[in-house]
Amino acid sequence: MIFPFTAIVDQEEMKLGLILNVIDPSIGGVLIMGEKGTAKSTAVRALADLLPDIETVKGCRFNCAIEGPFCSDCLEKFQDGGLIEKEKKKMRVVELPLGVTEDRVVGALDIEMAIKKGERHFEPGILADANRNFLYIDEVNLLEDHIVDLLLDSAAMGINTVEREGISFVHPARFILVGTMNPEEGELRPQLLDRFGVCVQVNSLREKDLRVEVLKRRSEFDDDPERFYQKWEIEQQSLAKKIVNAKRNLKNVIISDETLFKVVEITSELDLDGHRADIIMLKAARAYSAYSGKEEITREDIKTVAPFALRHRLKRLPFEDISTETEKLHATLERI
Amino acid sequence: MQHLKEYKINFSDFVSQENAKLALVLNAIEPACGGVLITGKKGTGKSTILKAFMDIARFLHLPFVEVPMNVTEEALLGGIDIEETLKQGRRIYQRGLLCRANEGFLVIEDINIFPNDILSLIFEVQSRGENIIEREGIALKEPAKFVILATMNPEEADFSPHFLDRFGMCVIMDEIKEKEKREEIIKLNLQDSKKDDDTGIIKIILRARDFIKKIKVPDEIKEYITELTLKEAILGHRADVFLMYASKAYAVYVEDKEVRREHVDEVAPLVLIHRKRLIENPPTEEQKEDKERERNSEERENKEENEKKNTLSSQFPEQGNSQGRPSSEKEEVFPVGESFNIKRILLKRDRILREAFGKRTKTKIKGRGGRFVRSLIQKRDDIAISATVRAAAPFQSLRGRKDHLIIKEQDLRYKGKERKMRHTVIFLVDGSGSMGVGQRMIATKGAILSLLVDCYQKRDKVAMILFRRDRAEIILPPTSSHELAMKRLNEIPTGGRTPLSAGFLETYKLIKRLALKEPQNRFLIVILTDGKANCSISDKNPYEEVRDLCSILKGYPLIDFIVVDTEKKDKFMRMDLAKKIAEWLGAKYFQIEDLESENLVNIVNLNRCFTGLLNKNSMHNNT
Repeated sequence: MIFPFTAIVDQEEMKLGLILNVIDPSIGGVLIMGEKGTAKSTAVRALADLLPDIETVKGCRFNCAIEGPFCSDCLEKFQDGGLIEKEKKKMRVVELPLGVTEDRVVGALDIEMAIKKGERHFEPGILADANRNFLYIDEVNLLEDHIVDLLLDSAAMGINTVEREGISFVHPARFILVGTMNPEEGELRPQLLDRFGVCVQVNSLREKDLRVEVLKRRSEFDDDPERFYQKWEIEQQSLAKKIVNAKRNLKNVIISDETLFKVVEITSELDLDGHRADIIMLKAARAYSAYSGKEEITREDIKTVAPFALRHRLKRLPFEDISTETEKLHATLERI
Repeated sequence: MQHLKEYKINFSDFVSQENAKLALVLNAIEPACGGVLITGKKGTGKSTILKAFMDIARFLHLPFVEVPMNVTEEALLGGIDIEETLKQGRRIYQRGLLCRANEGFLVIEDINIFPNDILSLIFEVQSRGENIIEREGIALKEPAKFVILATMNPEEADFSPHFLDRFGMCVIMDEIKEKEKREEIIKLNLQDSKKDDDTGIIKIILRARDFIKKIKVPDEIKEYITELTLKEAILGHRADVFLMYASKAYAVYVEDKEVRREHVDEVAPLVLIHRKRLIENPPTEEQKEDKERERNSEERENKEENEKKNTLSSQFPEQGNSQGRPSSEKEEVFPVGESFNIKRILLKRDRILREAFGKRTKTKIKGRGGRFVRSLIQKRDDIAISATVRAAAPFQSLRGRKDHLIIKEQDLRYKGKERKMRHTVIFLVDGSGSMGVGQRMIATKGAILSLLVDCYQKRDKVAMILFRRDRAEIILPPTSSHELAMKRLNEIPTGGRTPLSAGFLETYKLIKRLALKEPQNRFLIVILTDGKANCSISDKNPYEEVRDLCSILKGYPLIDFIVVDTEKKDKFMRMDLAKKIAEWLGAKYFQIEDLESENLVNIVNLNRCFTGLLNKNSMHNNT
């Protein structure tokens, strides 16, 4: 039994960051930064409950989308004249544990097949499972470097190419990265940092009432998880519905030239590297207006999501002190 | 005849240490209490009490699994037994330690000298309550809910506050001062104990475990708990949750029907002691004395060592106190100078198999991870499947293959793996007054910054030791946070005399401590000095001291040295003392300018990359 997402006390920023990604997966994931013991992992695991369905090619091990790109298996099938059949699957949160090995990430030779039949077969790894799903890495800053390299490689291309042990295989690997980290324990490489669409911050609650509420809900959940779950069922469902609606309306949200101009103004003011920040800020703002049921992106929407998209991109060099940059960001946001 | 018994002390007989006993019992009653960390000096009975507690756990039919120091990830998490698998032709799965501890206790002795990566794995599994295995082509989940009982001796090594926070309770076990009690302990160790056995406490625990399900924590108590944690300014919400369960467990332990404030007060010290922010409690008098004593004894040792070799006459100019010009006594903090791209410094590879991580020097890898470079016949951890199958292929018809491949012992090939590893880089920085002359410190700080960037790129751990005035101190304990290193670098003051030997001694002590924790760690010591030692720690000539310490350090395995000479090389005042030191250490010798990479492409990149940073620095300095 997982602690219900809606029952997490406060931490609205973290919740919103996750929800925006469910609404528009192309935002590209979320990095949750925060102190120890602030329900980071709990929130991500709880997210699984709210996720919508995706359409995939029937029977595909890699969740290939109907419109492609396709894996080697599917391609072979179509070339032989096979038909595309649809199948609905629930979106999942796939976990990448810290102790994972390289071959489990990218996939490897199927040992059983090799020994029993002497045949070479590809056995999918975590990247295959994660295609079109959430890929969750707890303590992402503690992940081994060569695993990070593998992730970066496929995250950039959206494709996992395997050439090892005499196997050659290609399959799509487009996943939404969700990572948690406690910055006290070590830094994350800027390159990987940039891969996360948005970054949210969690802090422990300072207000007494909220803290008491945390304890109350926690002990209620521990005593009888099932009853607790039922109690929150209605809220869970209404949130799930809200997300589905927002997803449907996403494409209908109007993006005016003024909006574009504002976004660019913020990013150019801050002199950021690359264009990812612009794109993601816009996407996040759009998802946010869809979520709040609006038809057009407003100034408030941009103001709400801008820190999400920019917070982790302000720092470009290993040792830069970002306090002045952060101030600048706030000043710019006030002005627009 | 009297004889020493081996860990046969009954839990209830254990003299004093009520806190430790209480913490263990509470965890046996309510696993949600979150485990116990027992800290204390050597010989205070940390392990003994756990061993005594083991009997109780056994009686309650709770698993009690010890994690040995040399545990591998495979053993911890479980994995596939490849050799069996190849023989039998189907997957054979080995259960890990963590799964065996399910519903029981996991015991980690000397947790602070465990490798951090192993600990992160353990805590990750614990927080999830199940073990997810994703390796070598298997993916499965198994429940793994356990309570961690750990011991540590804080003298041995530091322990990350992040791991500390995962423990529900922490108990400090100190040696007992009262004479009668000490006598009692000795007796206990000599006699066969025939006093009350543990049935009493076991009964209490059994009843409490039953009863705890029936009681609830009233809201008023929850409010009281948050008041307490807020008052102590404790980060995160773990403390609240742990405290709630601890109070509940305590209430049933004292046979109360409801949880009351007194119960919370009673257990609060156990739960909160390790979460208080350290900044707020300065070291107590006692600790200070301890430190003082420690330092004195070490100095004494050193003197003795030095006295043995007190025959050498110095070939260096006597510098002594005359160097201490008034100007150098003045304390100044210089800004960080310009940084540059560091020349590639190649260090020797060694043949040790290790679990490595980082990007500096290539090493052979044991265990999982690493790049598979070649298949070997020598036995290693991982079997190279394709090479094994290839080796077996020619003999299949000879061996009479029917359905599945026949693989024999001699076909097995293993994966030889390689990866780059990080080093622990210790910067030994001269902060004496002579470094301030002609603004040498600015250039030196620039050089350190450049080296730090290099270390960051190679994922090295860094530490910094500053020596000035009459002593050396670790201004940056080993860390992966290069951010913090940068901060400390900015703060380095200059002024006073040059206790070079104290610097070397501190380095030696640090390395010894670190090597205990990670014996295969490679060290790179970067010494930035002009070499003008003029302050000794014993009554010997400072240069003799330095030379002796150099020879000790040089004899230590797995250390590389770099000496960066910060002396201004003009025609009149040139002593090249740092060069001499480099010779003694067998170190690579550079002057600051030589460190710079000559590669044009690099320089172009660097300029682009660092202009921003430099602007910021200069801005920072102006303010």
